[in-house]
Amino acid sequence: MKLLDKFKMEYIGKVGIAVFLLVLPLIFHAFNYDYGILICCFGALYVIAVSGLDVLFGYCGQISMGQAAFFAIGAYGSVIMHKYLGIPVLVSMIISSILATIIGCIIAYPASKLVFHFLSLATTAFGEVVYQLICQSPKGITGNFTGFFTDYPSIFGYKLNTNIKFYYYALIMVVIFLILKSNIIKSRIGRAFIAIRENSHAANGMGINVTKFKVMAFGISAFYTAYAGGMYAHLTRFISPETFANKQSVMFLTMLLFGGTASLGGTVSGVFVVLILNEILRSAGRYQLFAYGGLLLLVVVIFPGGFYRFIKDFINKQKGGTKDAEG
Amino acid sequence: MLRVENVTLNFEGLIAVNNVSLTVQANKISGLIGPNGAGKTTFFNRISGVYTPDKGSITFDGHRIDGKKPYQINKLGIARTYQVINLFKNMNLLENVMVGMHSNLHSNFFSSMFKTKVQRAEEKEALERAYDWLKFVNLEHKAKNLAGSLSYGEQRLLEIVRGLASNPKLILLDEPAAGMNSKEKEMLHDLLNKILEKKISILMIEHDMKLMMGVAEYIYVLNYGQKIAEGKPSEIQNNPKVIEAYLGGE
Repeated sequence: MKLLDKFKMEYIGKVGIAVFLLVLPLIFHAFNYDYGILICCFGALYVIAVSGLDVLFGYCGQISMGQAAFFAIGAYGSVIMHKYLGIPVLVSMIISSILATIIGCIIAYPASKLVFHFLSLATTAFGEVVYQLICQSPKGITGNFTGFFTDYPSIFGYKLNTNIKFYYYALIMVVIFLILKSNIIKSRIGRAFIAIRENSHAANGMGINVTKFKVMAFGISAFYTAYAGGMYAHLTRFISPETFANKQSVMFLTMLLFGGTASLGGTVSGVFVVLILNEILRSAGRYQLFAYGGLLLLVVVIFPGGFYRFIKDFINKQKGGTKDAEG
Repeated sequence: MLRVENVTLNFEGLIAVNNVSLTVQANKISGLIGPNGAGKTTFFNRISGVYTPDKGSITFDGHRIDGKKPYQINKLGIARTYQVINLFKNMNLLENVMVGMHSNLHSNFFSSMFKTKVQRAEEKEALERAYDWLKFVNLEHKAKNLAGSLSYGEQRLLEIVRGLASNPKLILLDEPAAGMNSKEKEMLHDLLNKILEKKISILMIEHDMKLMMGVAEYIYVLNYGQKIAEGKPSEIQNNPKVIEAYLGGE
């Protein structure tokens, strides 16, 4: 009986969240606050990007300080293919994500031998290389520093030309990406990732080809982040290099660490908290980075498991329940 | 089944293992003993592929395995445990065992991502098998606990069973009794016999002589990287060279 109640509670909770997410843009719309919908669209695409990083860092334990590079490849790849080859936007987004995955795997192969600070240096360098390439591209196909404009995505001639339409599309994508991620994590592949994070020496001894799985984790994170990059490009319809500077990589990591690694709730809450803070601190200009630094420090010192875990433990404590070990 | 011939390994001039040969026979427990620093664990690392040999050959079941990587050697059927416990501490017991099954499971990236019928069936079966393995060492009541929360002795047992989960033909145990209390040691003694019943051979490093002499059928003795003796437990106990190595000669 108790189990049934718990099941019911979970079910009600899930339906509640779904209904809330579905009507949220309508509420914003009713109050004529279109900006809120836009923020939610950004939130959705950042959730996808940060989930990718979570697979790599949270589960497989490999740090990447160059995620902005994949974000850039996804965005520029899609925009350029759409502009010069006339490929429909949604298709070009997928192709550019696959391209980013291939590049990610190529980078990961030598990088898989590196750990900790060496890996972060290597990935930082990769991010910088891609950044420089978009700033000073051959024949200026990326529009260099000025950047360029592009279209909304469209599905079979149906244009996602308002933020509300884009929101629903983004919501669907988030659900798909999160389900696929969860499937991967709960499989033999996901166990191999976690084993590598926990003890790569033992993982190797247990029959796990560590290099192969590290490359795979890099590939997955590249695909996720690149797809989010494509979404970003076609949501804002204007891209320029400054979005893809090192700052963006740091922001992905901040979101992930702030929310908490290796959990769905952590990714989502991290993204939205940082995103909202970002809006609040917009006027602070260059002091934004200072705020991020402060946030990260806060996480490390006060709640090392991340914001989400902290809240969850707090609620459990209030209920007098046990600590949740799974997160 | 495992044949090691004239294996030598040196670390920048320091010879850790010098010209050692040994064979492990099928369905038997073989022992490897020697004073601290004799090169036993290094020798294990050589067999399991952590180090590649400078010289000599290692043959397992008709395959040359020297120069192969640890994960390849695991696939061929050699599992191992570690002297310093190397569990996946933030995974629960079932997950630890299921990682051990890695080589036996076949679902790939796409079948996992889309949760195909075959993949789900395989996962379900793997979970049941993992549970059976935990029963094998009486840890099933802690199946959902994190590995890091176990006592030292229990962690040793979990390591053994994680190794067994890959269905090996041979398991290398590196000081399985270290840190165990006497009751756990008795359990380990029974466990070793139960492992043999499953047609899995054992090569074991152990400092507990009572246990070693009780279970091993054939023992090799290393000292300063060299094999100084081999034979049945009774022969080893009376071998003057071995006594000298342990107690110090004149």
